[in-house]
Amino acid sequence: MSRTAGFYFKFIVVDTAGSLLRFPVWWYNEGLFQILKWVKQKLVYRLRAYGFGIWLRNFFVPMYGQYDLAGRVVSIFMRFFVLIGRFIAFFTEALGYTLLVLLFAALPVLALLFFLSNLFQVGVPTSYVS
Amino acid sequence: MLADLSFRACAVCGGDPRASARCSACKGAGITLASPDGPLVWAPVIEDGFFGFRSFRTKANAIIHLFLAVCVFILLATAGYLYAFDTRVPSLLMAHFWVSGHPSAMLAWFAVFIGCFLVFRLSAYSDQVKALPTWGKTEMQIHAWEATVSTRTSPHDVSIYFRPAAWHVIESAYTLAKRANMLEIAPIHLFGAALASSSGGIFLTRLGLDFEKIREPLSKLVHEGETGNPTSLSLEGKKILLASYMGAREARRKAVGSMEIFLSAFEADERIQDILDAAGYSAKQVRHVSEWIRLQEGLKEQHDRFVALAALKPSTVMNRSMTARQTPILDQFSEDLTQLARRGYVAPLIGRDQEMQELLRAIESGRRSVVLVGETGVGKNALIEGLARRMVEEDVPKELFDRRLVSVSVAQLVAAGDPALASQRLLQLLQEISVSGNIILVIEGLEALAGAGSGGPLDVAETLASELDKGYFIMIGTTTPENWTKHLERRSLGSRLVRVNILELSEDDAILVLMGKSGFIEYQNKVFFSYSAIEKAATLAGRYLREVKLPESAIGILSEAAVLVRREKGEEVLVEGEDIARIIHEKTNIPVEAVSREETDKLLNLEDRLHKRVIGQQEAITAVAQALRRARAEIREEHRPIANFLFLGPTGVGKTELAKALAAEYFGQENMMIRLDMSEYQNPDSVARMIGQPNDARGGLLTEAVRKQPFTIVLLDELEKAHPDILTLFLQVMDDGRLTDGVGRTIDFSNVVLIATSNAGSQFIQDEVRDGASIERIKTGLLEKELRGIFRPEFLNRFDAVIVFKPLTMDEVIQIAWLMLNQISKRLEEKGISFRAEDEAVEELARDGFDPVYGARPLRRVIQDRVENALADVLLRQQVGRKDTIILEPGSKLQIQKYSA
Repeated sequence: MSRTAGFYFKFIVVDTAGSLLRFPVWWYNEGLFQILKWVKQKLVYRLRAYGFGIWLRNFFVPMYGQYDLAGRVVSIFMRFFVLIGRFIAFFTEALGYTLLVLLFAALPVLALLFFLSNLFQVGVPTSYVS
Repeated sequence: MLADLSFRACAVCGGDPRASARCSACKGAGITLASPDGPLVWAPVIEDGFFGFRSFRTKANAIIHLFLAVCVFILLATAGYLYAFDTRVPSLLMAHFWVSGHPSAMLAWFAVFIGCFLVFRLSAYSDQVKALPTWGKTEMQIHAWEATVSTRTSPHDVSIYFRPAAWHVIESAYTLAKRANMLEIAPIHLFGAALASSSGGIFLTRLGLDFEKIREPLSKLVHEGETGNPTSLSLEGKKILLASYMGAREARRKAVGSMEIFLSAFEADERIQDILDAAGYSAKQVRHVSEWIRLQEGLKEQHDRFVALAALKPSTVMNRSMTARQTPILDQFSEDLTQLARRGYVAPLIGRDQEMQELLRAIESGRRSVVLVGETGVGKNALIEGLARRMVEEDVPKELFDRRLVSVSVAQLVAAGDPALASQRLLQLLQEISVSGNIILVIEGLEALAGAGSGGPLDVAETLASELDKGYFIMIGTTTPENWTKHLERRSLGSRLVRVNILELSEDDAILVLMGKSGFIEYQNKVFFSYSAIEKAATLAGRYLREVKLPESAIGILSEAAVLVRREKGEEVLVEGEDIARIIHEKTNIPVEAVSREETDKLLNLEDRLHKRVIGQQEAITAVAQALRRARAEIREEHRPIANFLFLGPTGVGKTELAKALAAEYFGQENMMIRLDMSEYQNPDSVARMIGQPNDARGGLLTEAVRKQPFTIVLLDELEKAHPDILTLFLQVMDDGRLTDGVGRTIDFSNVVLIATSNAGSQFIQDEVRDGASIERIKTGLLEKELRGIFRPEFLNRFDAVIVFKPLTMDEVIQIAWLMLNQISKRLEEKGISFRAEDEAVEELARDGFDPVYGARPLRRVIQDRVENALADVLLRQQVGRKDTIILEPGSKLQIQKYSA
């Protein structure tokens, strides 16, 4: 196989054109998959850090080893509210990540659409043509 | 190893490098490797133009990406410009601006679109290294992963896991093969390229190999094989790259690096192994040094992961489920190993996989408590610290999950000196632990709690046992085998503990541990260790420093050597094997360095030098000198003394004198020997005096002496007088090179020259000599008849040489007399006085000083009486001064010749 200048040039053209076609495919396959993996990694780490499993398993085990009645009651309340709080925080974070993923999915399409609509001024109430 | 891997060639092209490049079935892979990660292939077709194209592609990508980035920038800049200079434009914050059709909005959106495209290109078109699928996973996670991929049928390309450094090696290998006009890239090319990499450079330095030594033979090998065009990756080469992947996987590395290729190439081609062997480096050494470099790279990789995991753990005594209680008293007397590990103060454990598994299993099965039994220095503490690290990584069974590993300091507990107070404290401790519920207790030196401590009798073993029974906590204790047997085994505490034996590491395993620890010592002292230093430290410490076991003994030696070399030669210097040998020599007085020039001369001329002190007895001198030469040339058996000699002969003929001469000539000083008079050991209880009373740590006379000075002469005078039990003792010494003293320590006799003298059979010898019999006949007669009743045959058998000392002839006695007078002459020379003796005078002295029964011993007294006394008189009366000469005349008269100018 000889590598002539022509081959190289052909490669650039073909490669670039091909990548344009590959772009949407990648974005909605591998790209999405990678973002989802990243989000999953973050959420799993956060789950681990919050220790939901640990806390749920030990829900009725009194905190600080206070095995008296008062201790138990306070502990259950504490655990309940801390769990609620952590859950809310986690949920919010997950929501944020979801928005991020949605943004990722929508961005190229939106960008293209808005670019085109701006270009042809379609569906525009007032236009500012300078 | 390469041989263990199962490769399958493509059915269509058969794996041939050139055919497979064009093969539609395997698409260039050629061969497939079956692995726990599924079928693996090396997909990139390495042949002419591959690397040129690769670098072109990288450059092209870079240009395109740069172009896109510039585009985005320009678009945004233009948009911004247009926006800023248009007064009628609504604010950015108004939603309808973005759909208004204003050019700036249009350009901005286009920029965003291009930006997305750029992101896509950067992610999809970069040559990023992927981490191995087994990286960073716990044992269980790896098993889960393997289960998932076991059904995978489509082959997976391993080239994505190769680091840039590894790709560089492949490229260099290609260039090497191409320049040599070879048809295929063979293992040798990969090896050569890896050797030229920076890791390869470190390899050469550590191994101590000068590249010039192997340049020629390697170069020759490079040019062997078929020549031709185009150059492509051989089948062997593909196997090596796949094996490199497996190697990285096995060592739990993050990606495949240049050392993996190096090692696989080395293993693949025996001719490469032969070349290095010829240069003086065995395959084992090469493997070890490669392991060393990989180990250090691996430790760096693990560090980052560990830090990330450690951040998840709480930094207080509370556990993650917050169920624990405060333990103030415990905290006072202990240190929290998991906290230390979390903060990075605990080094990673190297090796000891089996012992760790045993430990975890013992705890898992029924929540039993464990005792680690092993000699001092084998690494019990290291194992526990390794457990602490695993607990931080949470790679442990659920009994250990989310718990603290706390080590109680027994010394602090008993510091008050009052055993009652100490037990009280301990009970409080155990209480706190039971209630807390998340503590794994570690007690080092468990015997101290069972009455063995030196701080007074503290015996809380029963209490501890009953607390353990309640099952509220798990304990891990450590102790030595001796203490286990003596204080713990038979007690109730012992029966509740699962015993895990920690044996001393083999030399190879110790070398691995040293390689892991070497990094820290190197960093502290700013020196570098050569491989020979590590190897020697493990070998010599294992052989000669028996008080503490491997690996700790060797680690200590490395530290000392590092400090020594840094002091002597400055920083950034290599510590060689000889430096280690020097330290061992200082500690044990055993010459372990390579034999130097002067020592060679000394050894080869030993007979002559011995003759200067001992007259006659040719055979004896030769035998002794030969034994020493054998010892230093290291071709003797290791588990025996250097030599066992039995000197037989009448009294006063030079037996003891030869031993003294040997001590002076070879060991440096006349009294560098341990001399035992067997006539003092005639009773049965003499054995105890020799090896020490049972349980008496002071040891015995002989064992302590040899323990402190392992390289020495042991002279046993008048052996026939010893009690038979003593002779049995020496039977063991001569055979095994070891003695166990009263306390149970093993004393190493393998660097001892054992010389026993005896007057037994001297009458027989004298008679035979008078009859003119040969030495051989005398010896046979002694061994078969005369000595039968005195020494057991198997005892006589164990001597390397039974040497018969002949009675002295008159000539020899005269020579001895001359010797003695020479000594007097030397002493007078110090005073500036010359001394001469006339032949007749000396003969006279010899005649008077010789006694057939007592040999030449009376000669000394005769000289003393006649010569030395007279000299003393003359000197004190100042009848003689400096530069004068004294002449000894017959009749023992002294004539003074005054100095005439």
